[in-house]
Amino acid sequence: MSGVQGALVHHGRSREIEGDVVALEPAMGDSTLLTVRVPSAVAAEIRPGRFFDILCRPDGSSDPLLRRPYSVFASDPARAELQFLVRPYGRGSAWLARRRRGDVLDLLGPLGNAYTLDPGARHLLMVAGGVGVAPLVLLAREAVASGRNVVFLLGAADASGLLAAGHLPSAVEYVVATDDGSKGHRGFVTDLVPDYVRWADQVFACGPEPMYRSLRNGLLPLRIGNRPRVQVSMEREMACGLGACLGCVVETKRGMRTSCVEGPVFDMDDVRW
Amino acid sequence: MTTMWKGPSRVPEPEDPPGPDLSVDLAPGNPRELRLTNPVIAASGCFGYGLEYAGVIDVQTLGAFVSKGITRRPRSGNPMPRIAETPAGMLNAIGLQNPGIAGLIRKYPRIWETWRVPAIVNISAESVEEYAEMAAILDEQPGIAGIEVNVSCPNVARGGYCFGWDPGMSAEVTAAVRAATTLPLLVKLSPGAVDIVSVALAVEEAGADAVSLINTLVGMAIDTRRRRPVLANATGGLSGPAIKPVALRMVYQVAGSVRIPVVGMGGISSTEDALEFLMAGASAIEIGTAIFVQPSLPLEVIAGLEVWMRAQGVENLGEVVGAAHPAGIPLRRSHAQVAS
Ligand SMILES: Cc1cc2nc3c(=O)[nH]c(=O)nc-3n(C[C@H](O)[C@H](O)[C@H](O)COP(=O)(O)OP(=O)(O)OC[C@H]3O[C@@H](n4cnc5c(N)ncnc54)[C@H](O)[C@@H]3O)c2cc1C
Ligand SMILES: Cc1cc2nc3c(=O)[nH]c(=O)nc-3n(C[C@H](O)[C@H](O)[C@H](O)COP(=O)(O)O)c2cc1C
Ligand code: FES
Repeated sequence: MSGVQGALVHHGRSREIEGDVVALEPAMGDSTLLTVRVPSAVAAEIRPGRFFDILCRPDGSSDPLLRRPYSVFASDPARAELQFLVRPYGRGSAWLARRRRGDVLDLLGPLGNAYTLDPGARHLLMVAGGVGVAPLVLLAREAVASGRNVVFLLGAADASGLLAAGHLPSAVEYVVATDDGSKGHRGFVTDLVPDYVRWADQVFACGPEPMYRSLRNGLLPLRIGNRPRVQVSMEREMACGLGACLGCVVETKRGMRTSCVEGPVFDMDDVRW
Repeated sequence: MTTMWKGPSRVPEPEDPPGPDLSVDLAPGNPRELRLTNPVIAASGCFGYGLEYAGVIDVQTLGAFVSKGITRRPRSGNPMPRIAETPAGMLNAIGLQNPGIAGLIRKYPRIWETWRVPAIVNISAESVEEYAEMAAILDEQPGIAGIEVNVSCPNVARGGYCFGWDPGMSAEVTAAVRAATTLPLLVKLSPGAVDIVSVALAVEEAGADAVSLINTLVGMAIDTRRRRPVLANATGGLSGPAIKPVALRMVYQVAGSVRIPVVGMGGISSTEDALEFLMAGASAIEIGTAIFVQPSLPLEVIAGLEVWMRAQGVENLGEVVGAAHPAGIPLRRSHAQVAS
């Protein structure tokens, strides 16, 4: 390593805040869409890809100890509300999904960097695996609002695990894949990517790391030079969320980078796969 | 609901009655002193270089903070995964990722120099000479209030046996660092020592101004699905509430023996926890893992101690230090002595 660590990056002030749970609704299979009221200044600082580190345990308990990162699915500064899509996985997410209206959550954030839209990019391809849809839904909304064309690809195990189309702006072309073929393409979401590579000015992905590997394998032979550029959100277990513990690093061609401050969004070509 | 940080802690008004005295000197035997306005310190590896938290909490209010462990040369650290959550605790095997002492000096002292909060630099090395060399470099820097020597490191000249497990090796490091700098010197003890009290006595004899303890306990976790250790490094350091009883016992034993100030840590997550360590004999405390969970916690503990002291009629924190020892602890000069 060069020894020079990345300069401290600030994407806006993060802080410990209280959020009131105002609604919970089932969404995307067994996941829960959680609506939280926060100070409106906080909601205004949201960019697609940024996340909050949420304390997922009752007051006075030390277990599970660490906060859990959740991407912002939607933000409404006018109503001072944020939405998170929570997939039940282990103890933290299960606790979060059991919250009730009126409960108060302890959130740290907003944290991390964001996906960036190139000013000249007209055609955007978004590739989501499972709960990885969360930051891309926010990005798709923003992209459509700025007059861009979006193709949104989503993969899930079966039809019940897909996001209802109503969550996406109607101008988005929404294409799905399921492992069992119960809806859309039978197979991986990344199988669909080659059809759009030549069309896309930029690609944005969020999902598990194996999805990124197959996305990359499919893309590399089809790209012209390094076009289209690809941004991926890297999932890491995190302790501090603020660049202090160095527990969440991603190995890049420029050295170790924290995924909580210098990520979670990285250029695919910067990451050492 | 835990009270969360909503802004800088209240600035005392001129008409306020004099508040209780939370100040402490961690190097009373050293002309350079290590005076803190309160006994709450952010622990090494859990607070970056201070800047990481500067936008989130009022860092200047802390008693002090300790930097991430620095080595002679830059290190890129261990492969991932580096952390794993365990019951009421966590394992870490970061592998001392740091920019090296030259990288630290290029960037931080000129920032810390402008800060009110004392910055303590934590150093790690694999030979006695390296420790001394780093101490000599730090001695000439502005903005550095003290050095914390992490002896939980393998001694390459002794086949990788940990310095901190052996009184002789710990004393050798301490003496070499002492000879290289007049800066206040904390030696951070390893809970892996066979007899931590004899290590503490040895480093006191070798010139440490204070001891801090405990560093993490070596542990591991296994992913049964993959039939492999969770951490890429297989083993890692256990920290957090899970280690508190062990840490408290060690602080109690060490404080009962040495005459230099003791800085206690290990799982502290509340004012109550901090008081336990003070009563065990710590003159000050460090908070590590709990900061990850609640960045405002150190400020809450400072405020909590003050509230507790007022309620108990305690004017000087020195009255509480070692209170849990039935026969008292050796006299130390970390707090202004009050006539009782
Ligand atoms: C930047 C970022 C954004 C995220 N956004 C979302 C989001 O919008 N919605 C959402 O539902 N989740 C999201 N996650 C994942 C989330 O933070 C938690 O990891 C997840 O909810 C599981 O936590 P848990 O406490 O339920 O599981 P745990 O109890 O932590 O999990 C049980 C076991 O599974 C392992 N494990 C935990 N998480 C994963 C994982 N993701 N992959 C593989 N193994 C794992 C753990 O090591 C543990 O051994 C995000 C993660 C990151 C880093
Ligand atoms: C992620 C992490 C990194 C750490 N890095 C260092 C280090 O570089 N040097 C050091 O002396 N101690 C290091 N420690 C140990 C802490 O400073 C502290 O001694 C220990 O974690 C116990 O306190 P806690 O339970 O409050 O965290 C680290 C701890 C953690 C959790
Ligand atoms: S989670 Fe601590 S550095 Fe990223």
